Amino acid sequence: MVFSSYIFLFCFLPLALLGYYLLPGSTTPHGKRNFFLLCISYVFYGWSNPWFILLMLTATAINYFCGKVIATASVESTRKTALVVSIVASLSMLGFFKYFMFFQSNVSLVMGLFGAGPVHWLNIVLPVGISFFVFQGLTYTIDIYRRESPPARNFFDFAAFVSLFPHLVAGPILRYNTIESQFRDRTHTLEKFASGILLFILGFAKKIILANTAGQVASAVFAAEGPGVMDAWFGAAAYAFQIYFDFSAYSDMAIGLGRMFGFEIIKNFNAPYLSDSITDFWRRWHISLSTFLRDYLYIPLGGNQKGSRRTYVNLAIVMLLGGLWHGANWTFIVWGAYHGALLAFERWRGKHSVYERFPRPFRIAITFVLVLFSWVLFRADTISEAGRYFAAMFGLMDPQPGSALLAGEIYTQGRLALMLVCGLLAVQPLQAYDWAKEVTWGKVAMVLPLFGLALATMFVEAFNPFLYFQF
Amino acid sequence: MSKKHILHGFLVAAFLVLLFGVGLSQPILDIVQGERPQVLEVFSAPPTEKNLRAYEKEMEDTSTIVQTVRPYMQYAHFLGLKDLGKDVLAGRDGWYFYKPDVQFLIEPWSGQEQVLAAIRAFHDTLAAQGIQLLVVPAPGKPSIYPEKFSARVQPGHGAVSRHSREMLARLVEAGVDCVDLFTLFEQNSATTSLYLKQDTHWSPEGMRLAAQEVAADLQRRGWVTKGAVKYMFKPVTIERHGDVLRMARSPQILAAIPPESTTCKQVVREDTGQPYEDSADSDVLVLGDSFLRIYERDEPHAAGFTAHLAQQLGMPLTTIINDGGASTLVRQELSRKPQLLQNKKVVVWEFVERDLRFGTEGWQVVPL
Repeated sequence: MVFSSYIFLFCFLPLALLGYYLLPGSTTPHGKRNFFLLCISYVFYGWSNPWFILLMLTATAINYFCGKVIATASVESTRKTALVVSIVASLSMLGFFKYFMFFQSNVSLVMGLFGAGPVHWLNIVLPVGISFFVFQGLTYTIDIYRRESPPARNFFDFAAFVSLFPHLVAGPILRYNTIESQFRDRTHTLEKFASGILLFILGFAKKIILANTAGQVASAVFAAEGPGVMDAWFGAAAYAFQIYFDFSAYSDMAIGLGRMFGFEIIKNFNAPYLSDSITDFWRRWHISLSTFLRDYLYIPLGGNQKGSRRTYVNLAIVMLLGGLWHGANWTFIVWGAYHGALLAFERWRGKHSVYERFPRPFRIAITFVLVLFSWVLFRADTISEAGRYFAAMFGLMDPQPGSALLAGEIYTQGRLALMLVCGLLAVQPLQAYDWAKEVTWGKVAMVLPLFGLALATMFVEAFNPFLYFQF
Repeated sequence: MSKKHILHGFLVAAFLVLLFGVGLSQPILDIVQGERPQVLEVFSAPPTEKNLRAYEKEMEDTSTIVQTVRPYMQYAHFLGLKDLGKDVLAGRDGWYFYKPDVQFLIEPWSGQEQVLAAIRAFHDTLAAQGIQLLVVPAPGKPSIYPEKFSARVQPGHGAVSRHSREMLARLVEAGVDCVDLFTLFEQNSATTSLYLKQDTHWSPEGMRLAAQEVAADLQRRGWVTKGAVKYMFKPVTIERHGDVLRMARSPQILAAIPPESTTCKQVVREDTGQPYEDSADSDVLVLGDSFLRIYERDEPHAAGFTAHLAQQLGMPLTTIINDGGASTLVRQELSRKPQLLQNKKVVVWEFVERDLRFGTEGWQVVPL
């Protein structure tokens, strides 16, 4: 189910809130409410495809029982075995459902080199949100193994953590040790609920008004056969805005919804387009993923404790896998490699960029351009398409006869105005997460009409996907 | 109660009233109208992915609040952003374009082989029955008037319809006879307005020019000898909002933009004074899409492509017309009505260029 849909806003959410707050005996401990959340989260998830529920339930059960063994076993080898089972089972599931088709297409490619036909062993549909709930399940067993968290009180609490609908399909990635206490005890106050509403509305408006408009521009340009130089840069910038406002909007809505149900979910973005280096960018972009990769991959690999050469290798591995986590495509691998290389380079310079002596606006601009290149890789369907797009950006491609028409589609007054708004909002430091912490009459007077405007806009828009649903 | 509590309470109440208000209004309306609340339809079918998507779409499309708000919001988008919805692109000087027409010119397309295979198969099947095929791709509006869409296109621009021109060349190379309306229209576009500003289709002048060219081509090839039926023209002026504007689904937009006035030439039989009518016994069968429907089956009637082609050829024609379905559906209909091919000497097959890519049901080989 999509947050920015009629059914979510006017059916699912009202019923979820009603049921949650009217539940009898709904004070601490939150067993009943957690169970209710579990049920509605499974409805939320199963709405995209009911069969996927079985997959999530299986992953949840495996991790829960492995966690139980890890928590209760007194022998270290047993604990380790349970952890390995949890990791292998989770990653196998992710590997099969997310990467089998990629593997199959690459086998076909290699076979083709030897004159053989393509192979079609299986046709796997990617379950929505699998990358998120698999990672979250892993944090549970790993945190228990590290003795950083106690095991869940019962299966339902743990299943509610994995499936918690606000963040289920597109994050933020919750780490068990940061939220487990909230499944035992959390507060529900009018203030927290109101703050959640503010954040939810801001996210919703960002998604509907900004991200979707930028997305229309980006889609038109990336679909074009031969965009001109200016069009290609404009399209790449539009995609940069789309992915930021889309993904951060989802995070805002998730955190806002979390607050409505009493949860505090971590901040996921912190003005990433104000970064003045790539290292800075990864401190500000998809924070829950970068901290997950740091704590559950980079540090276990040795982090920066095993010499500089190993540090660069670790960074490269982490970013490559981070790229692959985003999608089963060579474009994501190259995207990860690109960021890994830039991070390793900055690490080699003591976490400083080459352009660190430039004035800050220039550093921000250069970093944005570097990130822009990576978004081209991220957006393109294939490496060759990305190559074609880069060629267009640098004027190395002859414009196609129809490309002159593209200007009429993307440079309309309305789109230019909204792209300008996107640009201004992307480079201002105040984040919705912080802005919504305190509710004032002024903010209320601003967000309620904004909500009405965004809702009415949703009714006329057909273009409404959340980008991170595909991951 | 503190001031903060009042503030928080107000926001929460306003938010919940909005969610519950909209959410509850629809089932209440359904009940008041004596209908089963649509929200319960979710239980009427197994919860498969397909059923759930259909339920969700139906719920949004039929929601009273959505239907009420949507036209006004679309109008507001039009006023503020010149946005007319997902299918329409606003051009310059009051011209409006159908988005797939523009997409076809801008985006890559790789379906040439399928189109070629379908057309060749049809050509060969007809040839085996001694019937000639004349293929007539109709240029899309932005192919002929790209400068009305994008200020970047300068007067005297080169051709923008690369895919269609390449397809035409390949068809001719494959031995399929075609009429090149692209060149003809480009030569005449400056002096005559060949398309309607608010519509995807050609103007009466553009349509007449196409009909004259096709008639001349058929006669040049010796496939058709001019018949004895005499037709005359009766001028009829119609006023209408074009289909592109109507796609915005906003009466407010239509009220804000004056309808386009067009003078058509209705084709009337000289002997009876009756408007032109098709005949199933004709030597010529014309297949096509809404480019054949406009003025012919729409008002003012008998003033469209087939009527004018008939006037040029001096004989009534047989037609199969399907909006958006000229790629495959018209041939499927023909295969279901094989009697229409009896006594035929020529099939004229018109389709708009965007349907090379977007034609309904693609380009299937249809056995006759």
